[in-house]
Amino acid sequence: MVEEGVLRVVRSGGSELNFRRAVFSADSKYLFCVSGDFVKVYSTVTEECVHILQGHSKMVTGIQLNPNNHLQLYSSSLDGTIKLWDYLDGILIKTFIVGHKLHGLFTLAHAENSVFVTINKEKPDVFQLVSVKLPKSSSQEIEAKEVSFVLDYINQSPKCVAFGHEGEYVAAVRDFYLSVYFFKKKTTSRFTLSSSKNKKHAKNDFTCVACHPKEDCIASGHRDGKIRLWRNFDDDKKYTYTCLHWHHDMVMDLAFSVTGASLLSGGRESVLVEWRDATEKNKEFLPRLGATIEHISVSPAGDLFCTSHSDNKIIVIHRNLEASAVIQGLVKDRNIFTGLLIDPRTRALVLNGKPGHLQFYSLQNDKQLYNLDIIQQEYINDYDLIQIELTKAAFGCQGNWLATVEQRQEKETELELQMKLWAYNKKTQGFVLNTKVSMPHDDHITALCFCNARKSETPTLVTCSKDGYFKVWILTDDSDIYKKAVGWTCDFVGSYHKYQATNCCFSEDGSLLAVSFEETVTLWDSETWELKCTFCQRAGKVRYLCFGRFTCSKYLLGATDNDILCCWNLLSCTLEWSTKLSVRVLEPDRNSENIAAISQSSEGSDLFVFKPSEPRPLYIQKNISREEVHWGVFVPRDVPETFTSESYQWLNRSQLYFLTKSQSLLTFSAKSPEEKLTPTSKQLLAEESLPTTPFYFILGKHRQQQDEKLNTMGNELVQLPVTENIPAISELLHTPAHVLPSASFLCTMFVNSLLLSKKTNSDEEIPDDEDMEEKESDSSDEENDVTEKVQDTNDIDAEEDIIHQLSKSEEKELRKLRKVDYSWLAAL
Amino acid sequence: MAAGGGGSGDPLSRAGVPCAFSPQNQAYFALASTDGHLRVWETGNNRLHQEYVPSAHLSGTCTCLAWAPARLQAKETPQRKKRKSEAIGTSEQIDLLALGTAVGSILLYSTVKGELHSKLTSGGHENKVNCIEWHQFNGCLYSCSDDKHIVEWNTQTCKVKCKWKGDNSSVSSLCISPDGKMLLSAGRTIKLWVLETKEIYRHFTGHATPVSSLIFTTLRPPNESQPFDGITGLYFLSGAVHDRLLNVWQIRSENKEKTAVMSFTVTDEPVYIDLTLSENKEEPVKLAVVCKDGQVHLFEHILNGFCKKPLTSNCTIQIAAPGKGKKSTPKPIPILAAGFCSDKMSLLLVYGSWFQPIIERVALNPKEPHMCLVRDISNCWAPKVETAITKVRTPVMNSEAKVLVPGIPGHRAANKLAIPQTEELENKRKLGENEVSIEERLGAMDIDSKKRKDDLPQTNSFPILLTQGLESNDFEMLNKVLQTRNVNLIKKTVLRMPLHAVIPLLQELTKRLQGHPNSAVLMVQWLKCVLTVHASYLSTLPDLVSQLRTLYQLLDSRVKTFQKLSHLHGKLILLITQVTASEKTKEMSCPGQKAKLVYEEESSEEESDDEIADKDSDDNWDEDEDEKESEKDEDADEENEDEDAEEKDDEENGEDRDMTSEKELNGDSDLDPENESEEE
Repeated sequence: MVEEGVLRVVRSGGSELNFRRAVFSADSKYLFCVSGDFVKVYSTVTEECVHILQGHSKMVTGIQLNPNNHLQLYSSSLDGTIKLWDYLDGILIKTFIVGHKLHGLFTLAHAENSVFVTINKEKPDVFQLVSVKLPKSSSQEIEAKEVSFVLDYINQSPKCVAFGHEGEYVAAVRDFYLSVYFFKKKTTSRFTLSSSKNKKHAKNDFTCVACHPKEDCIASGHRDGKIRLWRNFDDDKKYTYTCLHWHHDMVMDLAFSVTGASLLSGGRESVLVEWRDATEKNKEFLPRLGATIEHISVSPAGDLFCTSHSDNKIIVIHRNLEASAVIQGLVKDRNIFTGLLIDPRTRALVLNGKPGHLQFYSLQNDKQLYNLDIIQQEYINDYDLIQIELTKAAFGCQGNWLATVEQRQEKETELELQMKLWAYNKKTQGFVLNTKVSMPHDDHITALCFCNARKSETPTLVTCSKDGYFKVWILTDDSDIYKKAVGWTCDFVGSYHKYQATNCCFSEDGSLLAVSFEETVTLWDSETWELKCTFCQRAGKVRYLCFGRFTCSKYLLGATDNDILCCWNLLSCTLEWSTKLSVRVLEPDRNSENIAAISQSSEGSDLFVFKPSEPRPLYIQKNISREEVHWGVFVPRDVPETFTSESYQWLNRSQLYFLTKSQSLLTFSAKSPEEKLTPTSKQLLAEESLPTTPFYFILGKHRQQQDEKLNTMGNELVQLPVTENIPAISELLHTPAHVLPSASFLCTMFVNSLLLSKKTNSDEEIPDDEDMEEKESDSSDEENDVTEKVQDTNDIDAEEDIIHQLSKSEEKELRKLRKVDYSWLAAL
Repeated sequence: MAAGGGGSGDPLSRAGVPCAFSPQNQAYFALASTDGHLRVWETGNNRLHQEYVPSAHLSGTCTCLAWAPARLQAKETPQRKKRKSEAIGTSEQIDLLALGTAVGSILLYSTVKGELHSKLTSGGHENKVNCIEWHQFNGCLYSCSDDKHIVEWNTQTCKVKCKWKGDNSSVSSLCISPDGKMLLSAGRTIKLWVLETKEIYRHFTGHATPVSSLIFTTLRPPNESQPFDGITGLYFLSGAVHDRLLNVWQIRSENKEKTAVMSFTVTDEPVYIDLTLSENKEEPVKLAVVCKDGQVHLFEHILNGFCKKPLTSNCTIQIAAPGKGKKSTPKPIPILAAGFCSDKMSLLLVYGSWFQPIIERVALNPKEPHMCLVRDISNCWAPKVETAITKVRTPVMNSEAKVLVPGIPGHRAANKLAIPQTEELENKRKLGENEVSIEERLGAMDIDSKKRKDDLPQTNSFPILLTQGLESNDFEMLNKVLQTRNVNLIKKTVLRMPLHAVIPLLQELTKRLQGHPNSAVLMVQWLKCVLTVHASYLSTLPDLVSQLRTLYQLLDSRVKTFQKLSHLHGKLILLITQVTASEKTKEMSCPGQKAKLVYEEESSEEESDDEIADKDSDDNWDEDEDEKESEKDEDADEENEDEDAEEKDDEENGEDRDMTSEKELNGDSDLDPENESEEE
């Protein structure tokens, strides 16, 4: 069915979103963010990815809207090109080849046809800001070699460069220097912080800079948490600065609002601070954003902010400091301790998420489902605090049980351990804590595994620890006279010569438990907990352990520290085979006999897929990743694939995902890239076409007519009658209250009196008006449509309010009045 | 019931609210509720993905909706300007949703952008749109309406491609054939149109009421003898308003058969129908029908020819809320929609209210004829904005959870007293012997203690209170005794308490030690006294290890932090007290002291025998001895402490050694000399 190309390693979502500042589109509908080699276009309303702009061959380092056309986007990359995109359709328009590695991109409205980029020359840590002239040409690829130097010795991060209002100057910070280059004078001023003389203790070096959009004012953030506002910096001597201090740790990013009335800052505290009028007193906070704020950006329309966070998410925030949307990738802030798990219930990938949480990530939709708060403590983001870490997790019994282990270790002897066993409550569709075990072991827990055999009547969990014991926990009846309850208790404690227990694993049918104690593998009968057999590979500590499945269930595999992969036969209790392989991941497929081993060599990681019973591996792919692979997991497919080729058959029932050291999630795809690009069905095309709304009709028509109106201004003026002259009003005002008729009666009279009566208009104007309407109706069909509608509603109105009985001429007057009245709206 | 919300006043309008799962992997569930809001839910985490209110949502309520087939994420647009289009998206994305309204317009809504994509009005329907179908290949859209017409739309230009009269009454349902060349339409009768020419190909009888649903159930004809022309031999299914029967029709080559091939019966009017298409002859069609009464009926059938009797469902799914309190009856929760997952083995159920539905994936069990799921949806009513944005779920942590801390039974190993077989391996071999004689002994002591109780009413009532409290398990009585802080009083009480109460007391103490740390401080005093005074008695008990295991584990875990320090502490105390004791014995060689030592060093069995014998012969002697002992209390203090330290030491040495030493105690060897020799 599926055409088979070469098996390729493909990125499977969850890519990094917080590398650079996100950029809003001019109408705030879209948000652009850099993600590896791509630029992603997100909708700020639905949090969905609308387009992926791909074309760069290396990491994208900067994006900016084209100041001359707000429907276009520039992007710069380490591959030395600047590309211009049409982001609405996701089309690459032009490529400018610069040649240097580009580390940042800036655009200026005033600098026509040139952009600014950060490049580094010669020395690895010396960066320059240069301006690149983008030549006009109709061709797709253009060489842009005209580079002019602006500033030297700047920081690599684009956060440390900012352009001043009207593009008059550019400010760049590095270490203890603030350099300002004035384009008109072509001079550079450099300001040095006073404390930089004794560099050893100074903590106030610059971290970021932002320029006021309207005034000559530069805001700089510092490592000690202070924000300095620089003024009068065009004078080397008379410059002044004021300090704003709220952050207790490094200021990660600064941004001025569009009007410059407020300054936004953020840092490790995960609090967005809005400084109003640049004074220390007036500040507003948006706290508990979850993780360190790395970047802040402001939409050109001024209605939205967004913050990029270290846990790979972007929060879209309203002007009134209310979070409105969260674009969340795979959380990458922390170390992955739990490894990759599959929740049998939702089929989601489960791993460490936010601090103290387990994240559930849907691989099918490439979307985070939710974070499960395991530790349930407010997370305080601070360097010095030693946090509770969620170290182990396991699902058991088709997702009905979840075991989690959390630990906190301040000093070597002060280990705090807690194991929680959560039951899935079907009634409320959520996890409920069943048993909490404090200090289940005296030392770190190294492995956790449920017995997942279908026939096993009591759920069984095994924990292994460095204290030399493994414990078997079973679910028992805890009912008493007050309540019916079940709870977990320890059933058995086992040890082997006081060696550290490092791994545990149940056989497929649950009858055998294998526990490795450093170099020795022990087999225990799960009925009686008797030690059945030991295997010993005197070569090194056992790092991974797993049983074969189905026809290979008589084999036990172990990978040791010193790069040996062994396979033991459980029937004969002998070593079946062993091979030299530096295994980093050993993962059995639940749906087949296959076992995947990912090894690490100096060039990269290699994948071996094999059956324990067969001497030759089914599939070998060298160099699947340059980095070390840390975790892997087989994810069962919903619908089995039908690969016929022998080397791909192992992918039929499950898909292998693996996580590298830099926490990018990768998988294998057998589809050729071309096939992935062409859809199976003919693509659906639907042009956007919206009929004009009545509001548009009023405004749009007005715009069209504006020129005409300018010409015929005098004729169009309608003279509103002075209120005193209207008899109805004067009558209303001067009649004593007690003789006045009821208000409902007066109302119609009063309203009618306010309308322009026939008499006040000259008869000549009426045909003019009709002419105009005819013109309008001719001008466009769509408008015609709406005109009809408007008339319809008018008709309805007339039907409903028979009392009014507006004459046709009066109707026309009404319409005219409407035109005139709304004219001020168009001016907006 | 919420399901009845759809039809306004019209008795022949269909029940239910327009809703649909997104195609391919059912990631979203779109629902247009009666208040005119369109809500899109994520099926994976039951979260409101977006909400859209059409501008005319009150006058032109949404009457039907349909997801467009997947389209490319970055689509290749027609080349408007002179430029080469390079970027092509990677994955297909479900994006467009077509909404038909009561005023006849059709809205195309983009769920990715969260805004209206286009509006199809000009030249369309004049009355309520009843059904919308997307053409699976060419991107056309078909709609039918109460104005008796069927309209073919070109979604690319948003213009009408073709409009023709479909029926004499309103057209209520549409379906496109699997090959995309034919169209089924139905008012009361069902017609099959050739799409190219818009001519009627076949007529079917249909239903007595307007047909509310039409679906093709097979992709291939059942018999593959004749060449397949794309339509002949296919089956389709129809359901109608107020009709409890779903009919299956077959499209045949000859134009004779107009009656239904077979029918399925359900309990109420069908509201939502989903099925898995069978791709070959052997695979049965799985059909899930949601009824107006809130039940789901599942059918599994291989379509093959006529069947006169209406088929009943293979499985019925109901959902009920548990009643509040014990006796109240469970309330049914209506199921609103059901869709098969792509693996065909599980079903996505949507239930609850239209405004806050709950979406759950339920695995199907083909053997079970009736599934009743109990779900508590009481806490799902309030939409939580906070969680919608942060996506954090907090699992329930309540006080009902069991807490295991070190020392509590079940933390270290099972607290199974009766079955020594399941003990730890190390101890397994040693636990063979059992002495029965203890029962007799205890029996004898029982009688004895009763006597003593009668005899000594005038003495300090603490021992009596204690025994009574232990026997009756009277909490207050025990509190009165155990909460004393007077060390001497404790010692006296322990001395005078009957032996049979020792074990219950220890167990009571253990229980209290597990409790609040403050009470534990008091209990430790008691424990010390009991262990020092009654060490010899305890050492006679054969099942001591299992009886006091909890206590051992508790002490073990409590003193674990400073294990070595407490070992040292114990040993030092032992040495010091021994030195002082030996000095004292030098000073005054009292015969009473000797007797005390004899009491401790003698084999416990002998002693207890003696005791019994003595007591039998002379009651007064016992009293004398007691008095003597109390007199010597001050002198014996050090020695008690001495023992205490030893005991503690023992416990601290870890469970294993503890047990082995207890084992040794069971024999006739003495504890003190041995330990002393060890120390020295």
